[in-house]
Amino acid sequence: MKSFVKVINHIKEVRLAKKITQIQMAEDLQITRQTINAIEKNKYNPSLELALKLAKYLDVPFEQLFYLEEKE
Amino acid sequence: MSVKRLQYLLWTVIVLCMIIGGFLGIYIIGKETGNYPVELMLPIIIGVIGGLMVFLMISKWSQKRRGNVPEIDERTLKNLQKYFLGALYFILIGSGAALLIAYAMGVKTIETGLLILCLGGVFLMTIAGAFIVKRV
Repeated sequence: MKSFVKVINHIKEVRLAKKITQIQMAEDLQITRQTINAIEKNKYNPSLELALKLAKYLDVPFEQLFYLEEKE
Repeated sequence: MSVKRLQYLLWTVIVLCMIIGGFLGIYIIGKETGNYPVELMLPIIIGVIGGLMVFLMISKWSQKRRGNVPEIDERTLKNLQKYFLGALYFILIGSGAALLIAYAMGVKTIETGLLILCLGGVFLMTIAGAFIVKRV
């Protein structure tokens, strides 16, 4: 049986591909740079509101940005 | 009411309360000694307003350095929530344990001055911890 344990995101990859800095993203989304760092390192799961804002800001489908890590 | 107006109102209330506190101090000194040190009124007013100016200058400078990035966000608030919850349990259990240990050691009464000192220390440590958590 599959069990989901951790939320993984591709924010760093997408951000770097779009050449956006953490500072610029922090200013645009009105969050701290530390929060972006924590989200990118999968140490902090953002609220649904912030997750949706991130998907909209990076112009990426939500399910492509965040997904559950599957474990057997 | 706009945020800016609320901010001005907040500063005004804080400054007025501090000045009133200073004047109350003068009144208490006068009542106790019979000599009201009215010459302290000017330093009180200058000190309070000067302190506010220094605070405003520092906050303006840090805002300039930080740019448009906010100082706190949802993660900071969550961290602070967790910290204060932990601190609450620590203080509750810690002070209870300290009382029991003191009682077991034969301390039957506690001087209020010492109590104020202990609580002041706990309060200062909690506030210092909150500042650290805010920056994490």
